[in-house]
Amino acid sequence: MWRRLSTVMLAGLLAACGTEAAQDQPSPVETTAPSASAATVRLYTSVTEDTVEAVVDGYQDAFPGTKVEVFRAPTGELTARIAAEQREGGVRADVLWLTDPLSMQQYDADGLLAPVPPTAEAVVPPEYRSDTFVGTRILNMVIVAGEDVDPAPQSWSDLADPRFADAVAIPDPSFAGSAFGALGYFAQDDDFGLDYYRQLAENGAVQVSAPDDVVTGVAEGRYAVGMTLDNSARTAMENGSPIELIAPEPGAIAIYSPIAVLTSAADPDAATSFTDFVLTEEAQEAIAKTGWEPIRDDVAWPHDLPQVAPDWAAISDQQEQLLEEYRAIFGG
Amino acid sequence: MLLAGFPLFELLAAAAAQGWVNAARSLVGAATAAPVVNTLWTGAMVTAVAVAGGTAAAIATERSAAPARRWLRLALLLPLVIPSFVAALSWAQAYGPAGLVDDLLGVAVPGVYGPFGVVAVLVVEALPLAYLAVASGLASRAEPDLERAARASGASARQVLVTVTLPLLRPALAGAAALVFVTTVNAFGAPAILGLPARFSTVTTRIYSDLAFAASPAAFARAVTLSAALVVLTLAVVAPADARGLGRGAVRTAVPAGGGSTGTSARWPGVAAWAYVVVVTAVPLLALVLMALTRAVGVVPTPANWTLAHFAEALDGDTVAALGRSVVLAGAAATVVVLLGGLLTVLRHRRLGRGLGTVAILSFAVPGTTLAVAMLLAYGPWLRDTVALILLAYVAKFWALGHRTVAGAADGLPADLSRAARVSGANALTAIRTVVVPLLRPAFAAAWLAVFLFGLHELTMSSLLYGPGSKTLAVVILNLAQLGDPTVTSALAVLLTALLLAVATPLLLVVRAKR
Repeated sequence: MWRRLSTVMLAGLLAACGTEAAQDQPSPVETTAPSASAATVRLYTSVTEDTVEAVVDGYQDAFPGTKVEVFRAPTGELTARIAAEQREGGVRADVLWLTDPLSMQQYDADGLLAPVPPTAEAVVPPEYRSDTFVGTRILNMVIVAGEDVDPAPQSWSDLADPRFADAVAIPDPSFAGSAFGALGYFAQDDDFGLDYYRQLAENGAVQVSAPDDVVTGVAEGRYAVGMTLDNSARTAMENGSPIELIAPEPGAIAIYSPIAVLTSAADPDAATSFTDFVLTEEAQEAIAKTGWEPIRDDVAWPHDLPQVAPDWAAISDQQEQLLEEYRAIFGG
Repeated sequence: MLLAGFPLFELLAAAAAQGWVNAARSLVGAATAAPVVNTLWTGAMVTAVAVAGGTAAAIATERSAAPARRWLRLALLLPLVIPSFVAALSWAQAYGPAGLVDDLLGVAVPGVYGPFGVVAVLVVEALPLAYLAVASGLASRAEPDLERAARASGASARQVLVTVTLPLLRPALAGAAALVFVTTVNAFGAPAILGLPARFSTVTTRIYSDLAFAASPAAFARAVTLSAALVVLTLAVVAPADARGLGRGAVRTAVPAGGGSTGTSARWPGVAAWAYVVVVTAVPLLALVLMALTRAVGVVPTPANWTLAHFAEALDGDTVAALGRSVVLAGAAATVVVLLGGLLTVLRHRRLGRGLGTVAILSFAVPGTTLAVAMLLAYGPWLRDTVALILLAYVAKFWALGHRTVAGAADGLPADLSRAARVSGANALTAIRTVVVPLLRPAFAAAWLAVFLFGLHELTMSSLLYGPGSKTLAVVILNLAQLGDPTVTSALAVLLTALLLAVATPLLLVVRAKR
């Protein structure tokens, strides 16, 4: 029984290990090669799977013999695992690649993160990096509206307009980091403040879990308009869902997806070479191809929007307070 | 058992490390008061309705002339096969605003999003557990002979039910109620999908949200404390129920004589049960299939807009390898749980068994994410990234499902039978092998199946514990679901359900045939 069992497990294990090389062209990269040719990078990430896969495949092709071990999980599970590992002897990852900068701020404060290499500073605008982590792509919080909504909303304030009473969906900041980023932006901005959320609540706005749920609800006609991520709306539109994407005044809320090397990395050179690779043109193009805005301005992106951004260092400090005030408005 | 219990202590230690004052404050804070009340209220409602419904369904299939009885049993157990998030998703698709029924008849069931929807879906999910416990109670412990005797003495079918059948089922009912209550208070899928949009949060949704912010020590502390609170809450509810229910084993001198229907010959209970199946399972699944087939969200689900592309996308990548691993893991966990449960039972250590039963349900009460954190805290240094750690987590989590079923059935076995075997010259082992085990076989089978199914569609624990080479089906599902296309998620949910059904149907039919 046990022998049979372990044979089956082994077979499964082998099947999982046999990853196929997907990219064909050897890439012109400006990264340094990892020191040892058989280096292994352990990556913990919450970035969508197709994006991670494209970038990891590209890296392994560029540096034959190197291997990236990926642990990918939704933000909640990933954060929980890191919290557990922190409390039993240290985080076992070499590189963290997250969806939004919120948790990174805390890991930085905990001293987990190594300084960002100069190569990154050269290609990433200062507003999308800190001393220890650097943006890799941008998620845009935008407005999604049903095709038949006329006139469509033009600004964030329009969502609080009585003509959208009981017809607005917003994502839950205590579930989605991107929604928390939006909460942070509005709270910090003098033109909005938390009053904006109070007006939304009074207007009968409905809070759903994730930005994707907003798109689904609007596409099905349950809500007329909503606050969501550009990538999610675009995917549904490409499939033919009857919705449109609006970059509202004063701008889409830009949330950058940061990457960082841990001070405890077993092979710091290999870890750094991977983060460098994510910022190469090749990897940035792969990221764009999977539907996300690349962080580099010099990489083609057809969907440029006017953007605003929250101050992550500030909202990270106010995390507890912001969420509590939000819950006082929206319940839950 | 120690292996499974140890992480709980780690968890409590982590909670204690934050200081009890802070822990208490995070519990009574205004922000957590509403979720706690919602959880208690939901747990009580669901337990009452699901146990009553499960009992009614069991009596309908076991004691009345239900049409297509064998298939009805299967259909009633169907929700066990359906992962929690799929059930919630399918209800929203079927009965929610802009759902299938709304599209066809112009009627949306009010309150699908909100407490009503949460309770309804949780009842649907929990009812098979109650049904299994009661039906196996009816099979191995209620006595057709006594019922026949009562009928022969002139009692009506209803009188027999109230005065003979139900009282004999009391231990089974108590066990079922405890199980349902605990399943409900640590459920996550339905509250997250149907509750949150209506500003209805529960302890589990709060825990999940706090874990998402667990980089902040305060949020982590609150998640751990809330989980510990669930453990305490469960203990408060289950311990008295155990003391009352399992404590009163009926004095038995005979094995139930083989089954024939002894109840009413009316067909309506069976017809009602079929109607229930259609409303709670068939229509939602149909809505889900339509969603999976339709090109894009918000497009009319007519054949012109159908495509199989989403199914192809769902089967992409390492789905098959991960599936194989999940099947092995769930099977191994089920086997371990049944073996341990069986061992304890035949050893006849009643007090020890009952104590363990109570402990087992505590780790069942901890939500998957937190239990996984506890597992890492306890065994991370040795077992990180291994399949063994996931297996251990499954055993810890689902131990209660198996143990309760087996212990409940064993409790009703007449001790005289094995005594008689011993007196007739059989040694202890022979007595167990030839008397106890055959009588408990239905319970063993039911326990194995329950653990296997729960293990197979468990989503949170393995997605937190896996490592290179131990990717499970859950990881693939969450990865796909996060790509944000609900049509693909639906396709995957349909495939998963079909697959579980294909695995479970023969097993269920075999279980039935063996009796």
